[in-house]
Formats: sequence, structure tokens, C-alpha cells
Amino acid sequence: MKIDIDKLKKIVGEDNITDEIADCYIYASDSSVHQSMPECVIRPGNAEEVQKIMKYANKNKIPVVPRGAGSGMSGHAVPIDGGIVLDMKRMSRIIEIRPEDVLCKVEPGVINDELNRQLKPYDFFFPPTPSSGKICTIGGMIGTNASGIRSVKYGATRDAVIGMKVVLANGDLATLGSNTRVDSSGYQLSKLMVGSEGTLGIVVEATLIIAPLPKYRAMGVANFATLEDAGKMISNVIAAGITPSMLELMDNIAITAVNNAQNLGLPDVSAIVVFECNGMVKEAVDYDMKRIKKICEKNNGTGIRVSDDPKEMTRIYEGRKKLFPSLSRYKEGLVTTALADDMAVPMSKIADCVHEIHEIAKRNNVIMSAYGHCGSGLIHTKILMDTSKKQQWQDAKHAVDEVYKYVYKIGGTTSGEHGVALSKAPSWKEEKKDSLAMMKAIKKALDPNNILNPHKLMDAPDDWVTATDLRYQVTS
Amino acid sequence: MTDKNLKKLEKEMNVCIRCAYCFEECPVIRELGWDSGGARGKVILSYGLLHGEIEPSQYIADRLFQCTFCRDCMERCPSNVSILDIISSARADLVDAGYASDTHKYVINNINSTGNIYGDTEVISPEREGKTPLFIGCQYLSRPNKTKKYIKILEKLGINPQVQKEICCGFPMEALGFRKEFKTHKEKFQKSFPFKEAITFCPTCTVFLREGHEIDAKHVLQVILEKLPKADLGMKVTYHDPCDFSRGLKIIDEPRKILEKLGIEIVEMKNSKEQSSCCGGGGGILMSDQVLSDNIAKNRMKQAIETGVDIVVTSCPTCETVLKKAAAEANESEGTNMVVRNIEDIIWKAVKSI
Repeated sequence: MKIDIDKLKKIVGEDNITDEIADCYIYASDSSVHQSMPECVIRPGNAEEVQKIMKYANKNKIPVVPRGAGSGMSGHAVPIDGGIVLDMKRMSRIIEIRPEDVLCKVEPGVINDELNRQLKPYDFFFPPTPSSGKICTIGGMIGTNASGIRSVKYGATRDAVIGMKVVLANGDLATLGSNTRVDSSGYQLSKLMVGSEGTLGIVVEATLIIAPLPKYRAMGVANFATLEDAGKMISNVIAAGITPSMLELMDNIAITAVNNAQNLGLPDVSAIVVFECNGMVKEAVDYDMKRIKKICEKNNGTGIRVSDDPKEMTRIYEGRKKLFPSLSRYKEGLVTTALADDMAVPMSKIADCVHEIHEIAKRNNVIMSAYGHCGSGLIHTKILMDTSKKQQWQDAKHAVDEVYKYVYKIGGTTSGEHGVALSKAPSWKEEKKDSLAMMKAIKKALDPNNILNPHKLMDAPDDWVTATDLRYQVTS
Repeated sequence: MTDKNLKKLEKEMNVCIRCAYCFEECPVIRELGWDSGGARGKVILSYGLLHGEIEPSQYIADRLFQCTFCRDCMERCPSNVSILDIISSARADLVDAGYASDTHKYVINNINSTGNIYGDTEVISPEREGKTPLFIGCQYLSRPNKTKKYIKILEKLGINPQVQKEICCGFPMEALGFRKEFKTHKEKFQKSFPFKEAITFCPTCTVFLREGHEIDAKHVLQVILEKLPKADLGMKVTYHDPCDFSRGLKIIDEPRKILEKLGIEIVEMKNSKEQSSCCGGGGGILMSDQVLSDNIAKNRMKQAIETGVDIVVTSCPTCETVLKKAAAEANESEGTNMVVRNIEDIIWKAVKSI
């Protein structure tokens, strides 16, 4: 059905809706490999407007896809069936900050780092720390259950969401969860919404747990000649009962890329582990840092250095945060694609998994880097390939299949923090085959007309390469 | 539509992984809200134009010309994508396809007919014999008192600049997509200014002499810093970094050292130095989208007001003009008492009695 733009203009005002081809083309892609055009893009300004839009869309069975910064890597915000994209960035109010209740309430378009800037005067912060924190929205983080660099200590977004207001497919506004840290009052529906990738409702307000800002932190770096030693170091740290606030691995490909793009001058070794401890008492931070340092030494770590100099820590931290985009500068002609990008595995299997990823890449004629929040068992990989060649997409497809088969074999899961959407759905459906029927039933109950971000997750096509147009030109 | 300008950037556009880190402080997306305001949106449009996935249109041209060329996106891009090159190439292709704005055409015609952006035959160089070639640029030439002050400052500090009849460096042609015109103009320019080194007054000309003409251009502030005597002007100001200064030329310390040397205390704005916010005067939007330009300037003035001081010093004549308008509006609507001054006025105050 053709969308009645004039009707929607009356809801949001003519400045907040566009059906220009150019805008629809921009909103057809995110940071994934996918591309599919919406018919219009709307920037709602409040919950009431979202309700009215949903009522109209539900009545007319028009797909609606919510979108934050559009930095998702699996195609969450790509409107596979066209319809309406809701750009939620305009809803960016921090509604209240209640340090005495250790919570805040925000609209979904609030940027992660902006929230932290507003929380800082209260000596609090919002714990999930995605690398994209400077631009990603709280709504997007809820949609994907994002976590990030500090998940090893503070967990993921789901751990921090205790309540929300959500507009359902039929336009009803529901208040879910509570304002309390503990809640055993029946089904935890606010937690269910986290990670649902916009398929169950549109979050219009979130109640978030905040954490006291640590007074001290120190950061360390260690080099390793083998991935095995680096992997052992990581699992030894966790097994020793230490809770670092950051425990990150970078393989040689990632090191080369970040040096090329950021000119960081990191050593050309097999792996670098970056670690950080934070806390309220300096002695406690120093104590944990010393213990980690010893574990590095025990596992043949070299060039170990520890610093609490803010400038040095910022340099290391920023370099790590920019790793994914930096991979584009690894080698001329190779394009970084976000594929098989965030599996999680048991900590003791990290080294084996990274090693296997490199082997899979070799077998399939692509390059794969491995890095990530290994303290949480999370490994990021990206596939670097010539996106203009059809054969490379088949290579990538084989590589992705092999990676996930291995991940499941060692007890891992498809996605640790980026979500599933389209690119990961075929493998994920295999992993979650016992729960797909339950998930489909939940979707059917909440969205009987299948208008909320349709054909994602369990309803996604079985071949991610052909699920949508690819956003790259494939010429040979 | 010919795609020759964007064609050479095809690989570069694939380097952009569409992470949106460029959104963070983009003055245009902050003002407009739509993704087309930011660099990612513009790179996507460019990619679509190159591959024929979208057809050129006035709407697309308007979006691609809504950029101040402030380079903030380039400062933040973790993949170091050549964003300005992509946007100016897309603009060039759109101009070739007939989507140049009338105001931009007017400026380019002015350069072609008179040698300066104003089309004013009375905008003339104060020719003089000297030792070091000086390039003044249209903006300063149209402000003869400011030019006179800078030349006198140089003289007083023992530098003997040589000024010849000059024509526009051609930056507007490159930035606004008139590359064919620039090709012809470049030859004319290089005949009129056949030097390998030069002192310059305008930050934008300085960048373009380096990038567009391979001239070793040194901004006058870099030249006079060491020679400037100490003074005690006893002022408290905030300093606005022109984008071409702090990000284009990486000149961040020099103006601050100069102000400190003159006994002036600087209170930094929320966004300063490499992270400085644009005044809204660049990239051609001052001519083609006055409302957007004004709104960006208001945002910057808001940051200046938040510092609690009422003097804004800058080192670019365009920034000065744009911010003066924003200050006047703030003074009227909010009862502030903001004053905008260019750095050469302050330096002159300190050195005129030497």
C-alpha cells in the first residue's frame, strides 16, 4: 500500500518527514553489508507521535523500522520490506537523573557519551561502553543489547535497563519493568525488549541503572609472540578472580590496521592485550594491576607497561575504540565487511578460536582479524575482501559458516553484543533452533501484522548474501 | 552525467564503513537532524551518484552543498577517509550536470571577470617592493584597513613583504565544484604568483596555496610569533579557532602563544583547538544557505557566551564577520555584551608604538 505522506505530515510536521529518493537512499543502509530502500523516513519528536504513526502503520500493514545512529553492523536498521524508517535521534531528552535512586530516565535518541557527560557532575556513569559511544543512541544499544569495552566488569545494556515505555505495534503505550534494581514481579518484559532489534516495540523512554564513577584507573599493555599465550593470559586473569574493567585482545591484523590508520606505532607482534582496572581506592587498583602484570609475565608477555597517565590511557583507549573503522586501511583494495563480527566463546577457548578464525580465513581466501572484549569472551572479527568480486562473497559466506560451526562446537554463541538482524540470522537460527518457535510465538502475539522490523532474526532470509541488495558494487 | 570526478574516489568511498563517527560534532547534522547533513550521508549520496543508483537532482545538490568544509568529520574519521575530496568531487560532478547554484555561479563569474570573489575592480593589491612574497587573498584585500595593519605589523617586526597584483587563489572554484574553471584559473594564478614560498593572511588561502598550488605558505601568525615583543594588554578573551587553522593547518598553539605574550588570558570554549566548532562561514553555505550558516554561528556564539567572557578573538576574516552577526543577535536577544575581534587588531594595539 502506498504511504499517505500528507497524513503522516500532520502527525510530525512537514519538516520531520521525507520521501525524497536521496534521503531514502541514505537510510537504506547502515554499517552492515545490506541495502534496501524505505519509502519514507520520519523523525518523531515524542511518544504520542510514535503512537499515531504506529496506529496508522498497523491499520495499513506498513512495515516500520526504528533506527538510532544507523551504526549497526548486521542490518538491523535496513528496511528489508521498505515502508517507514523511524529516525529516533530527535527524541534526545534526558528526562531525569536520580542519583539517590541510582537511575536515570532517557529518551531513545540520547547519545551514549552525552548521557555520560550529563551524569559526570553527579559522579555517576552509564556502564555499557560501546566503541561507538560518541554517536550511538541508547535506543540502538537497547535494540542490540550492546555492551562494549567495559562489559567484563559491568555487563551489557540488558543488565542496566530496569524499565521502559514502549509503543507496541498497534500504537498502544506500555510501561514495562520498574524503577527498582530488583524485580521479581512476573515476566521481565523490559528485559525481553532489550536485544529484540525493534521487532517487538518502539522504545520511547528507558529507565537505566547508573554506576558510581570510579576515582582511579590504570591501564596496561602487554605484547605476546603467540596468540596462545595471549589467550592463556586472558583466561588466567579471569580465573584468578580479578575483575578488570577492560581486557582486550588485538591480533596482528588489527595491530597493523590501527597503525596504518591511526599511526599508533604499536609493535609488530602476534597479539597485544590491553587491560584496565578501576575503583574507588588507588591501592586496590594498583594491587589488581600488579597481579595482572604477573600473569602477563607468567604467560611470556613482553614490553609490559602500566600507566595511570590520563594522556597515555586516552591514546591507548582511543586507538582501541577506533579499531573497527581502522581495518579499512589494512591493505589497499580490501574492504572491511562486518560479517561474523561478534561471537562470544568460553574464556578458556579464546586462543583456540582466534587461531581457528585465521585458519578459516586462509582456507577461504579472505583476511579475518580478531580482536575484542576477550575478558567477556567476546571476539570481534571482520572479513577483509574485494567486495567487487562475486567469488569473494561466496568465500565470505563459506568463511562465516565455518566460523559459526566452530563457535558452536566449542560452546559459544552467535552474537555477543551487535545483534543478529540479517547477516548473522542463518547461522543463529541453527544455533537457536530449539527456541525459534517460542520466539515466533512472542512476535506473533505482540505484532500480529508483522510490521515491526519484519524479516529479521528468526524471520530473516536463509541466505544473508541475497537477503537484500549488497551495498557494494559487485562487478565480476 | 559525467562521473569522472568521483570515479577516482571509488575505492576511497568503500573505505568508509559508514560507522557514523563523523556525526559527533558535525555542525550541519546538529542543525538539520537528517543523516544527509553529516559526512556519512554525503559519502553515501556520492557513492550512489557514481554508480547511477540515484540520479543527480537539485535536492541532492542542495544536500551536498550543505557542508561548511570545517573538516571536523575528517578529524574524527577513524578510517581517515578523504571526505572533503569526495564531497568536492561530487559537487564538481553536480555542477557539470547543471546543478550549480546561482550565487555560486555569480562568485565564480566574479573571479573570472575581476580576479576577486566580489567582482569589484576597486579591490586591489597594495603593490610594494619587498623581500618576502606576500599573498593577501580576496577577504583581506576587501578589508584594506586590516591588510594595512598586518603589513605594518610585519614591517615593525623587521619583515619586508613584497606585494604584487594578485588574483584569487581559486579555492572557491575547487570547493564549489567549478573544477573546469579552476583548471584555467590555476594557470593564470601561477603566472601572477610565481613563488614557491609565501606569507599569507587568510587561513583558507594558506591551506589552498599548500594543497592546490604546492606553495610553501606560512601564515603571518607563524612568522611573527617569535619576533613579537611582550606586552600587557590585560584582557580576558575566548579564542575561536578557524577550521582551516586548527584542522587544516594544525595551527593551534601560535595564536594562543601570541595572545599570552600580549598579556591576554584565554578562557577556552567547550569545543576548541582540533575539536573547535565551525562558525558556519565556510564551504559556500554563507552564500547559498544563509539560514543554516546563521544557525551554526549562533551555536558557536552560545559556546563563547558560556565561557563567561565577552570578547571573542579569531584569526579569520570570514569567521569574524559571521560571528559578529551572531554576537549582535545575541546581544539584542539575550542582553549579552559580546564583542568579536580579529587578532591583527589586538596585535596592532600592542606593536603600534614600537
